[in-house]
Amino acid sequence: MTKRAIIIDDERLARNELKKLLMDYPEVEIVAEAANASEGLEKVESLQPDLIFLDIQMPGKTGFDMLSELDRSPHVIFTTAYDEYALKAFEVNALDYLLKPVEPKRLADALHKLDQVEEKESLAGITPTVNRGTLGEADQVFVKDGERCWFVKLSDIRLFESVGNYAKVFFGPNKPLILKSLNALEERLDDKVFFRANRKHIVNLRMIEKVEPYFNGGLLLEIRGGDKIEVSRRQAVKFKEMMSL
Amino acid sequence: MNSRNKRYWWCQIGGWSVWALTMLFFSYLFEREVSVLFLYRLFFAVLLGVVFTQILRAIIIRFNWLQMPIEKVIPRLLIMTLLISFIYTISQMSLVEALNLSDKKVTLNFGRRLLLNSLDNSIFLTVWLLIYYAYHYFERVNRQQVDTHRLNAVVKDLELKTIKSHINPHFIFNALNSIRALVDENPERARKAITELSNILRNSMQAEKMETVPLENELNIVRDYLALEQMRFEERLKVDFEIDDDTLDQPVPPMMLQTLVENAIKHGVSKQVDGGMVKIISDITNNQHEIIVQNSGRMNGSLHNKGFGIQSTQDRLNLMFGDKAKFEIKDIANNIVEAKITLPVDE
Repeated sequence: MTKRAIIIDDERLARNELKKLLMDYPEVEIVAEAANASEGLEKVESLQPDLIFLDIQMPGKTGFDMLSELDRSPHVIFTTAYDEYALKAFEVNALDYLLKPVEPKRLADALHKLDQVEEKESLAGITPTVNRGTLGEADQVFVKDGERCWFVKLSDIRLFESVGNYAKVFFGPNKPLILKSLNALEERLDDKVFFRANRKHIVNLRMIEKVEPYFNGGLLLEIRGGDKIEVSRRQAVKFKEMMSL
Repeated sequence: MNSRNKRYWWCQIGGWSVWALTMLFFSYLFEREVSVLFLYRLFFAVLLGVVFTQILRAIIIRFNWLQMPIEKVIPRLLIMTLLISFIYTISQMSLVEALNLSDKKVTLNFGRRLLLNSLDNSIFLTVWLLIYYAYHYFERVNRQQVDTHRLNAVVKDLELKTIKSHINPHFIFNALNSIRALVDENPERARKAITELSNILRNSMQAEKMETVPLENELNIVRDYLALEQMRFEERLKVDFEIDDDTLDQPVPPMMLQTLVENAIKHGVSKQVDGGMVKIISDITNNQHEIIVQNSGRMNGSLHNKGFGIQSTQDRLNLMFGDKAKFEIKDIANNIVEAKITLPVDE
């Protein structure tokens, strides 16, 4: 399976070096290069690559900043020369990274690991959405909260909660904030999976464990992890409609 | 016998001699003569005194009474003093009786003499103890001061070393990566880059051994360093030097200018999408040697939040020149940050 890749690094020589190393992998096709984060953002959004090689320290915005601005993150292999903070983030979150100058063996391992991930995804019958408009369950987003960061599959997110201009994302034991409004999220999320329960919450329908009637013709949803979310009367009608199908 | 033990014995001998002389003096003062019997008794008193204080010292050391908090040690010493002075007196009196050295003039009965002599001896023992403790107290204070001084010196030394040898690993690995790319693209430049990188590494290692180096040496490293950074940043980095030839042999702390230039690149040029410039100036103004590094960019945050480079530069200048040297960093006109070191001129 060919992978369309973009290399994002502010140094021309570093990009060249990586391209040279990637010549041994004909299945990786470099579709573009970018010399900084904003250029990278533009190219990732217009070309929708399967994979990006991303430098962390770049002029203007860092690689992490760039990722958190993307709606949907492709697979990412970070590249860095030496950066204590980034390395810590990588190790804590088991993100894949290459240290420059890149060792060919490490590059082979990283690409192999990626193959396995993709294989598992296709076996499970989930493929990243082709339709660019909405975000499907298999899509992943990059979430950064202070020094910690994650790649999260949308299917692992059980709840979005509105906090002012931010949204709190609930997955596993984590609840980081992202700079996106709930309305903007609702527009992008697949409405077969994510349901706007009330003004403050969007829930993942597959994570609902119990549904109870509530005051005023509303409903009370208990989602995995024990959080209880109220469904407003208007939305309850919609919810019942969807569930009865 | 170590020197501490030797000192102890000198104190013992000296102390008891003074005591014996005092006794002789008072005896002469009251009796107008010194009997042979008195001399014998004095001799045995001193001998026993030395033996029993020696026992007292052994007890103090054995039970670690020197380290014990004062409120715990005082009752123990009090009891021990009374006990030992009692045994001391008994042995002293029995010896005097046995050898028939007693003064026939004394009419007091045995019990009262025992009590009075014990009291006397306990006063001497107390004085002995006070001297013993005072000596140890001053010795300890002294030792602590020496230790603190030594520790400070070690810390300073270590600080200087770590400050000096600080070359950013991020820079080294990036440079190596660029060189690897250049091996095919421009082998000549790659060879030159390897020489430049070696110079920097060698100098940063040697810097540990030296207090100061001539500015010319330091400038050579900076030139190599900037050449490597230009290889990485290409047209995004512009470099300018403005060096007064008279300053070339002025002594400067090694790797200090280098640290400032590294900072200028890291916080100035590398943060800007279109890159920027670094300018290095060295001249003599008002009989002071000024070294200036300017770079495009803006100081971010307050001065309290200094980076390692700035803090360490300030600390190093302080350690080496006290208030004869100055360091400041500030925004000057239109998007330029200036760092300035002022050093005393070496004639």
